[in-house]
Amino acid sequence: MTLQECYEKLQGDYEGTLGRLCSEKLVEKFALKFLADDSFAHLEESMSRGNYSEAFRAAHTLKGVSLNLGFTRLHKASDEITEALRGGEKPENEALLEKVKEEYERTVAALLELQNG
Amino acid sequence: MRSKVLIVDDQEMNREILTAILEKDYPILEADGGRKAISMIQQHQDEIAVVLLDLIMPEVDGFAVLEVMRKQAWLKNIPVLVITAESKAGVESKCFEMGVSDFIKKPFDNAIIRNRVKNIVDLFSYKNQLEQKVEKQTETLKKQYKLLVMQAEKLKESNTKIIDILGTVVECRNLESGEHVKRVKNFTRILAEQMMEDYPEYGLTQDKIEVIVSASALHDVGKIAIPDSILLKPARLTKDEYEYMKSHTTRGCEVLNNVTDVWDETYSKVSYEICRHHHERYDGKGYPDGLAGDAIPISAQLVGLADAYDALVSERVYKSAYSEDEAFHMIVSGECGVFSPKLLECFRKVKKKFEALNQAQKQKQQQQ
Repeated sequence: MTLQECYEKLQGDYEGTLGRLCSEKLVEKFALKFLADDSFAHLEESMSRGNYSEAFRAAHTLKGVSLNLGFTRLHKASDEITEALRGGEKPENEALLEKVKEEYERTVAALLELQNG
Repeated sequence: MRSKVLIVDDQEMNREILTAILEKDYPILEADGGRKAISMIQQHQDEIAVVLLDLIMPEVDGFAVLEVMRKQAWLKNIPVLVITAESKAGVESKCFEMGVSDFIKKPFDNAIIRNRVKNIVDLFSYKNQLEQKVEKQTETLKKQYKLLVMQAEKLKESNTKIIDILGTVVECRNLESGEHVKRVKNFTRILAEQMMEDYPEYGLTQDKIEVIVSASALHDVGKIAIPDSILLKPARLTKDEYEYMKSHTTRGCEVLNNVTDVWDETYSKVSYEICRHHHERYDGKGYPDGLAGDAIPISAQLVGLADAYDALVSERVYKSAYSEDEAFHMIVSGECGVFSPKLLECFRKVKKKFEALNQAQKQKQQQQ
């Protein structure tokens, strides 16, 4: 699987990301690094403990990283939950975390396929 | 030379991407939080060209780092670019208020980031260089000014020295009034300071008074050209002798004209005025030129009165000393020269000071 195919699978913005970072090597290096990123786990855990200001920071981080890597769908989902968590209150819409989880898993699955060739 | 870029972000991947974009152009420093950032800026404050700062970090956040940078006056020399994905309104303007130079927005864009960093680094390096230059020039100017002041001081010293030398000549020649010169100086100073306070129209300043006081020592310099037979005659002078005695004013001016090139113009001018005109009278009946009113230079008016007072309260070969009260009334009533009403007004005010000075000097003489 090529990098471009991987981006197609996770429905990300390959052209835009390559344009910004100027090097396919760099995009691939950082995209694969996302597998080690723990901000989603952190978000899930903070939500379950009811620590919403901690959850806000984790969501904010996930949003920034996915934006930088051009993971468009994950960015959109994490952006929504970030805004809902701003202020440190429990979000009214409980489906937001589910949405992030779904996109996160889609992204990770595509990246793992890329990593395994 | 500042050349390093400090990247402050708790997110490792953000630091890595920014490093990858910038490391070809700048040495990179990294901090994973606000606290580490502050200690690194402190440690490397003369090497850091720009700080890239994330706002949202656990514990010490970006705003706290900015606050410290502002308080420590680091923001004056180190620009800050804020790394942000913030879409919240008001954050940008708050950042500008806190002294942030610009923003680096997510998603990171290689070309935009490189240009933005280069622009701000170049701008601040130019600004810092200009400031250094101005500082250096100010330093040089200060040094030059100090030198000028020293030279002026030296010039003043040599002017005073010339007057002292001439004054000593007068003293040596005119045996009876070795202390006279010093007393006239002190009376002149008291009177001049009162005039400065009450009548600003004469334009007296502390500096001008110093010149007048110093130059007053030369009021009788012409007496070195008067023969002892007249100068030290213990009896009333004949009319011819008196006329000759009066010529000490113009003879003094001849002496001064001979040294005129050696010293400062202010000193020679004031010395000349005093020497020539200290026997003029306010009503125009004095000598040598018969000047009237304020056509008589203020320096000569001041020394004229001081000289007259001292002559009255001192013992001379031809007369005994008058009491201080007698001397005061003789001057005020016009028995002993005619003076400007303004000058007499000041004289009345400083009567006590004149008397105290006279007493102190008498005591000093008795001790000797």
